[in-house]
Amino acid sequence: MAGFASPNAFSPETSALQLLPIRFERLGADRFLVGNIVGDMAEMTAVELDRLCSLDLTPGDGLYERAFEKLFVGSIDQRAQQQLLALRLRSRLSFLRAATPLHLFVVTLRCEHSCPYCQVSRQSQDRVRYDMDQATASKALDIALSAPAPLIKIEFQGGEPLLNFELIRWIVGAAKQRAVPLGKQLQFVIATNLALLNDDVLDFCGEHDVLFSTSLDGPRDLHNKNRPRRGQNSYELAVAGIASIKERLGPDRVGALMTTTEASLDRVEDIVDEYVAQRLDGIFLRPLSPYGFAIKTKQFHKYGAQEWLQFWKRGLRYILEINKSGHHFPEFYSALMLRRMLSDEPIGYVDLRSPAGIGLGALVYNYDGTVFASDEARMLAEMGDRSFELGNVREHSYRDLVLSDTLVSAVADSLTQTAPQCSSCVFEPNCGADPVYHHATQNDVLGIKPLSEFCARQMGVITHLFELLEHSPEDAAVLRGWAS
Amino acid sequence: MSDLSASYTVVDFNASMQSLGALQEAAYRLIGQAACQIDEANGRYVCRLSPSQPQLHGDDLRSHFLNLVTDENLREKVNRETDRLRDVIVALAFGALAAEE
Repeated sequence: MAGFASPNAFSPETSALQLLPIRFERLGADRFLVGNIVGDMAEMTAVELDRLCSLDLTPGDGLYERAFEKLFVGSIDQRAQQQLLALRLRSRLSFLRAATPLHLFVVTLRCEHSCPYCQVSRQSQDRVRYDMDQATASKALDIALSAPAPLIKIEFQGGEPLLNFELIRWIVGAAKQRAVPLGKQLQFVIATNLALLNDDVLDFCGEHDVLFSTSLDGPRDLHNKNRPRRGQNSYELAVAGIASIKERLGPDRVGALMTTTEASLDRVEDIVDEYVAQRLDGIFLRPLSPYGFAIKTKQFHKYGAQEWLQFWKRGLRYILEINKSGHHFPEFYSALMLRRMLSDEPIGYVDLRSPAGIGLGALVYNYDGTVFASDEARMLAEMGDRSFELGNVREHSYRDLVLSDTLVSAVADSLTQTAPQCSSCVFEPNCGADPVYHHATQNDVLGIKPLSEFCARQMGVITHLFELLEHSPEDAAVLRGWAS
Repeated sequence: MSDLSASYTVVDFNASMQSLGALQEAAYRLIGQAACQIDEANGRYVCRLSPSQPQLHGDDLRSHFLNLVTDENLREKVNRETDRLRDVIVALAFGALAAEE
């Protein structure tokens, strides 16, 4: 009589398993976060982690399936898992193949605001010597267009860049002409407080497809407190500008960034409500950076990583509820992290990369022609620290700049893949090197990670997002929508 | 002298059973919470832990450090078993696959 083989006959031999490279972090006495080399993670107890590491896994026990799914184990006689990890690793690092897509032109350091947290150390409005001239802009443009990236994004920064709008007008025209024979695509963004927005600017930006990025710190009282200017009307001008751009150029032509000050910490709901009221498409709950007047006026030291994390978690909870009511409104930092955690797509955000995004992700052309490895690097230079100055547009080519000893050393010395603690950290595949931040805060481009607020924030954000994805299905559905 | 000895916590390990590398990694992760000085004496690694934060000292600090060492020992074991595979994966990602493009 014909029969069926016993279930055991269909089971693979557990001895045929091998452990793939894994990392883990202890979250509690009996809670571990375990991850593979491309950032997939699972929560385990101590017993489960021990069983995983000793390959004490049996088909059907649940842990065996989780370990296979997360690529923590593979079959000894199959290379599929290794090839899949290799493909995914290559994809995650593919930002290296399209180097330096972002080019920041500091067209002036003048500004009519006097924000105490200003991270670029603006100069007063009447100092014409802080404007970039056309010859400098022309040289900078040649460098930008010789970068390998097929899509070159030119961002106009300040000070307040609209104070030198004639130069912006010239750069956009020249860039469009020079890009054609090179086969480059272009994007333009003006980072402006919108106080000087007028019809001429709107007409030009509409005609040439120029986007706007502005600052909005929250409701009127908070914004005007953070961003003082003569007339105390920064908020009124910003929201009027946002409305004008949306009406004249379209709803997706302007984005806004907020900066978290001590006064923001207990007002995250008000801040989010302001963004919703202004019909902005999301919010970036952004901490202060340790540069410029934020240091001189001691704004940076008024709260720590844990206080910012509490602010961010409370804001995220509020934002998730808004999304559950049917309004798609992402928190952009979470969205960036989720794309790192849930996909292998390389992302453009320079702080979430290793090798670091300085120079390889962005170059900054200062008003006087000096070239810096990042916006934060030029902020440091305005404080007298020129550690990340790469050269000058009049003397150096793109190749000179990205192969300069300064940049190569900073990138090589800050690799998280080989750094103490980072090299075994479960969060590392989803994190990044931030050599300028660590130089600014610890005088060490690599950073002593147990003392790093960047590290504390990253670990806090990733852990919280992971827990929501794992344990809160309704929140997870919203978060997955942000990642795509 | 007794005051000085009371200011730190001592944890020691049999040097023939405990890797120095794991102790050093655990000491690094302890930065900011406690400073760890590692000496070798009479076949034992002696770790002197000086708290940097008032809330973590004595038995709590000892227990925290032992957890860190336990984790580092497991990381060493995992690395020993998977380092070769990591090299294969990186070589596939940036060697063989790159050459095929």
